Amino acid sequence: MLATKTYTLRSGAKVKQPFNKTYIVALIAILLFVASGWLVLQNKGTLKLNELGTILKQLFTPTQSDAFNIHHTWKDYFSYLLTAEIREALLDTLRMSFVGSVVGSVLCLPFAILCSQNIVKTKWIYVPMRFIINLVRTMPTMVIAVIAVSLIGMGPLAGIIATSIFTFGIMTKMLYECIEALDMGPFEALQSCGANKTQAFFYSIFPQLLPTYIGYFVYNFEINVRTSVVLGYVGAGGLGVIIQANMDGLYTRSRVGAILMLIFVIVVILQAFTRWIRGKLQ
Amino acid sequence: MIKFVDVGKKYPNGFQALEHINLEIKDGEFVAIIGLSGAGKSTLLRTINKMNAATSGQVLVNGKDVNKLEGKELRELRRGIGMIFQSFNLVKRASVYKNVLAGRVAYHSTFKTLFGIFPEEDKIMALEALEKMGILDKAYERADKLSGGQQQRVALARALAQNPQIILADEPVASLDPITTLTVMDDFKRINKEYGITIVANMHHVDLAVKYAERIIGLQAGKLVYDGPSDAIDEAKLIQIYGRSLHADEIHGRVDTPKISDIAGTKVFEKHSEAPKAESKK
Amino acid sequence: MFKNKEQHQIKKQVTQLNDSMHVSKDVSDKYNQRPKKWIYNMVITVIIIFAVIWTFFSSGITIRNVDFATQFYYLWRGFTHPNTSFLFDWSKGGVPYLTLETVAIAFSGTFLAAVLAIPFGFLTAKNVVGKHISKIGELLLIIIRTFPEIVLALVLIRVVGMGATTGALTIGIHSIGMLAKLYAEAIENMDPGPIEALDAVGANIWQKIKYGIFPQVIPDFLSVALYRFDINVRSATILGMVSAGGLGAPLIFASQSWNWSNMSAVLIAIIIMVIIVDAISSKLRSKLI
Repeated sequence: MLATKTYTLRSGAKVKQPFNKTYIVALIAILLFVASGWLVLQNKGTLKLNELGTILKQLFTPTQSDAFNIHHTWKDYFSYLLTAEIREALLDTLRMSFVGSVVGSVLCLPFAILCSQNIVKTKWIYVPMRFIINLVRTMPTMVIAVIAVSLIGMGPLAGIIATSIFTFGIMTKMLYECIEALDMGPFEALQSCGANKTQAFFYSIFPQLLPTYIGYFVYNFEINVRTSVVLGYVGAGGLGVIIQANMDGLYTRSRVGAILMLIFVIVVILQAFTRWIRGKLQ
Repeated sequence: MIKFVDVGKKYPNGFQALEHINLEIKDGEFVAIIGLSGAGKSTLLRTINKMNAATSGQVLVNGKDVNKLEGKELRELRRGIGMIFQSFNLVKRASVYKNVLAGRVAYHSTFKTLFGIFPEEDKIMALEALEKMGILDKAYERADKLSGGQQQRVALARALAQNPQIILADEPVASLDPITTLTVMDDFKRINKEYGITIVANMHHVDLAVKYAERIIGLQAGKLVYDGPSDAIDEAKLIQIYGRSLHADEIHGRVDTPKISDIAGTKVFEKHSEAPKAESKK
Repeated sequence: MFKNKEQHQIKKQVTQLNDSMHVSKDVSDKYNQRPKKWIYNMVITVIIIFAVIWTFFSSGITIRNVDFATQFYYLWRGFTHPNTSFLFDWSKGGVPYLTLETVAIAFSGTFLAAVLAIPFGFLTAKNVVGKHISKIGELLLIIIRTFPEIVLALVLIRVVGMGATTGALTIGIHSIGMLAKLYAEAIENMDPGPIEALDAVGANIWQKIKYGIFPQVIPDFLSVALYRFDINVRSATILGMVSAGGLGAPLIFASQSWNWSNMSAVLIAIIIMVIIVDAISSKLRSKLI
């Protein structure tokens, strides 16, 4: 299979068929899948397939229990979403995403400049800077939130720290890649007018960057909303706290289902909003 | 006054761009630099405001050694020298007015310019610069809405707003069509005559250089091979500068291959410059 | 000399301007017409600053009870002294095995999703099934995408039980949402020329898929799947927090018991793992293009 084939044409010309790498790649991928699958299967619990229907029913239908005399209607199911508890948690989630997005995207500006090869020409600055940014970016938001919670206690502040750091990392990378792709002509022109680097940046790079920057901001806000929804699970405030508190109770699970539907609606609205803004910017 | 004393420029990759250049350009002169591409025209121009620093010798602007200037002093020198680029180097998304006002940033503190604060005089100066270039009515349009010739005029207005003694033009008409080229060159001539601003321009088209400039500087492989009045250029001197007969694209508005005798001597140039003028009258 | 001359020039210009006779009417008209954009900018800036401050303080955040200095001292000491016996514990409960398990969860989950997303991708591509069915497919994919991974893991844990298998399944299901969407985009951006050519030589539908569609979309599919693998390695570290296997479990235990040196060991593993995976996948992706 690995050998290359040689064909001899009637004219006498010999054509060597290059060997097809696709099969090798597929083979390696499948082998890796089998190996990782085997490893994963070493650590498994007991399969209870019938539970799937039960739990989905508990999540997505109003609670019914003869033993506790709970007979909720669909109205009860959705009216939970109107309680003050949900409103506060939802606001916390939005706050964490908004403040985190703003803080992160303001902080990222100087760092993005320091990472840009075409503005900072010194290798000793932009290489270590990029390394730091890459280190920051290895940390998932949830992991940062875990550290923040054990450092400063539960609550939305931990969530804000987590979303800020996450936004900072990803925005810096996106921005410096964008800056490096920009037209540097105006920057040069401004320098030839006697402007210093800061002035040249704000009068040539910044106006070119602004629409992209706003687009990235909105995009990050969307990601942050999606993540802050579950950040509460580790105690960082928001809807996640309620999800965690109600997931284990047999008769409160329907609340989680209702929240999931709420999240779905919010994400869809947010996506439409992001798309609208990005369309406007172009 | 610009004075070159034994100027040399060697790039880090070992390429010797300029060698032993000795020149003196008086205030109010219109000088064209001609030569093959790669002969060092751009480098020569850029050593004047230290956009590229000379590696040996001295470049003196009004008696100051440009190479010794750093930081604030260098920026003060640069703000008195306007620079025009082949690709205009305007911020395309910003308005024409903003682009011209950017020529004033070097006169103010970083902090003030960061917030876009300019004194009224500066704003008026920017508008007057546009008026001088005849594009005042386009002041609040986006720069990329303008035609190439108009964009180059905006760049000229930006240079004028700097209140310069010298304007350096790096292939100013290379990306313009033949007719616009002539109008933009007329603008250069007018600025030179009316405001007494020294103009040093790199020119690709030999006939334009001869027509508009008073003095021609010929470079060949980084060496000065000709320096004299433009009406003294003849066939022998062009061959000396170019080391070969001219190509069609080196003559403005010519597409057929010219004979060397067509190019040398002013009467031929007059013939060339008449044709487009007749068109523009229609 | 130069400076003086220049300043002189400026002075001349300024005096000219103060004497309004010298400014032409056109210029002064234009000056008065200038767009007052700064008002608009100012309003937006003030609103954003106000919104940030208001949101920050309205969330009832109190930081007075936190002794930052001591906390950061412990954090710093813990992070500079990672628990090396935990970091180099080669048993099943040690960091190396759990790191490998995390990568395995991410890989098997991504592989599963990459395969399962192919039919979903074709069923969502407008040029394959038409506009209306594509809308239904899109809706389904949005539902899959918005269902938070952690919650999905919590549901699956009840069905499959605790452990890495749940983690891999969670990732496998959740990733279908994004993968299928990007697959569909790749299919929609496909060049129809080769398929037309196959039509012209009389190929049937399967032949068209094999020789016209697959060669075009497979590199895109692989690139998208690799990108998702990057994301999933990060996700897999989180899933352990709900006992779905991997590094998340020791991380959350360490955090709950303020065992900074254990946490430091886990974080080191996460950083190294993510950097290596990122490097490999970006290398592979650059080879695909």
